[in-house]
Amino acid sequence: MTSLSFTGIRKTFGTTVALESLDLALQPGELVSLLGPSGCGKTTALRIAAGFEIPDTGVVSLGESVITDTPAHRRNMGMVFQSYSLFPNLTVAQNVDFGLRNRKVEKAKRNSRVGEMLELVQLGELGKRYPHQLSGGQQQRVALARALAVQPEVLLLDEPLSALDAKVRSTLRDEIRRIQSELKTTTLFVTHDQDEALAISDRIGVMSNGRLEQLGTPEDVYLRPASPFVARFVGSINELPNSNGVGKILVRPEDITISEDENELTMRGTVTRVTFQGPVTIISVRVDMNDQLVNVHAASGSIHAQVGDRVSLDVTPGRGIIEAA
Amino acid sequence: MRQSRSQRALGRLLPTLVLIASAIFFAFPLLAMARFAFQNLQVIDLGWNNLFEKWSFSSVTASFSDDFFAEALTLSLKLAVGTALFTLGLLVPTAVWVHLRLPKARVFVEFLTILPYVIPAIALVAGIVVVKPHARWFLNSDYSLIPFYVVLALPFTYRSIDTGLRAIDLKVLVEASRSLGSTWIATLFRVVIPNLRAAIISSTFLTVAVVLGEYTISDVLLKRTFPSFMAQYRQSDPRGGYALAILALLGTTLLFVAIGILSKSRSTRPQQVSRSQENEILV
Repeated sequence: MTSLSFTGIRKTFGTTVALESLDLALQPGELVSLLGPSGCGKTTALRIAAGFEIPDTGVVSLGESVITDTPAHRRNMGMVFQSYSLFPNLTVAQNVDFGLRNRKVEKAKRNSRVGEMLELVQLGELGKRYPHQLSGGQQQRVALARALAVQPEVLLLDEPLSALDAKVRSTLRDEIRRIQSELKTTTLFVTHDQDEALAISDRIGVMSNGRLEQLGTPEDVYLRPASPFVARFVGSINELPNSNGVGKILVRPEDITISEDENELTMRGTVTRVTFQGPVTIISVRVDMNDQLVNVHAASGSIHAQVGDRVSLDVTPGRGIIEAA
Repeated sequence: MRQSRSQRALGRLLPTLVLIASAIFFAFPLLAMARFAFQNLQVIDLGWNNLFEKWSFSSVTASFSDDFFAEALTLSLKLAVGTALFTLGLLVPTAVWVHLRLPKARVFVEFLTILPYVIPAIALVAGIVVVKPHARWFLNSDYSLIPFYVVLALPFTYRSIDTGLRAIDLKVLVEASRSLGSTWIATLFRVVIPNLRAAIISSTFLTVAVVLGEYTISDVLLKRTFPSFMAQYRQSDPRGGYALAILALLGTTLLFVAIGILSKSRSTRPQQVSRSQENEILV
């Protein structure tokens, strides 16, 4: 288990600033996700860790060693890419064996390691198949086995689930977490999918415009967003007018209390839509005060409001963050 | 507006008619040449009544026994191998580099590679004449033809390699290989070249076709290649010369058929497993 750290990393492409002074340290065995919209710099950070991009300034360290200028093939990192990256001319087993051959591991050890890795990703029977004979999910599992076969000091995952459909994505997401916890490999996971990041990570780094907006546990990022951007990007958010009239309060749908008694709580409004979603019912209310729509999550069955009903709302004490005007 | 039945029939018939007309346009002279080369009759006697009489391979077998036949063919085959190797050695790394590091330069490189197609070989010959007195040491060797052939074949070979590179996700494959500990050279030999096999074979065949057909430069440099031999042989035995030309054409056609088969086998390999199948596998 090794730590990976970025210190003061800046990277520009022409006039575009991809990363602006990134400071991030992954503890040994930790899985950190970089989450953010397209163009926020998360993939650039991962590519700098892999050695595919050289930062303009700053230092990348692996444990005690500085690897900023170390070529990609000498970094001992495993990487899984967004698109299917298996070598089409090699079988599944040969793909997994690829990195071991580069490291000149003796054949008996290589064979046993390949078998072990394929069992780990539950594809032990498919060693002789070619990549085009596998489904997308299976290809990404093989890519994961291939990256892990070389016992990398750090595992880099560049949106490995984004090409898969929802069902396979969720299965493979859990698999990645299981395997990572089992092997305790320090892992940097890049994604734009907040559900993925919340489900899989020890810590999440939310990025915007080349900057790290917040680094914290999934609970921190969701429940205590450090900035309006984080609040808006992770989970859904309502924007309510601040009681003092300056700025807004950003509050999650589940942090709003709703009452069928119009006079019970501070804000009043009219129900415009009721969406049943199993355990939760989403109630959309047009608030009188600013004529804005507010979504409220209520436990299904707890509220029986209908479209057109008058209701009252309040923010749960201690929740929501204030955005200055 | 709906097309009438007769319009639809004409729509179907027209392409067939164009195809037949083109086939006649190309095939007729070749068949006439084959009659001249392989039918053992005086030209003045050739007619519809003796279309199937006295066909023989004697003209071509006679050319095989010419003293220079084997020598010329061997030289051309050696030049074909040399040109193919030189072309691949030059083009594969260049095309890979352009795809990976200089994608904006791709248009410029494509333009450069098409120049030999636009500028006739005779212009290249004029250049050779100018440099000939200063580079006799090089031009005296038969293998001095190789660089010229590489240039002449560029429009075909570059396109073939370029198409092969576009068909694979080169950047990701190279990065995957590098992240697994391969050097650039190892990546080229273990990942890029094996996945360009069809493109490399097609490029090689095209090179061979160019080398076996090029006459102008070898004639100016006084090299006895197979096309030069054919031209000279035709002067002493016109029927034998044309018989050889038909054989060369047949050989080239077979090469193109082989390219077609190889390309087809590449494009018809099993498709990706479908999403629904994938769900069945994983659930």
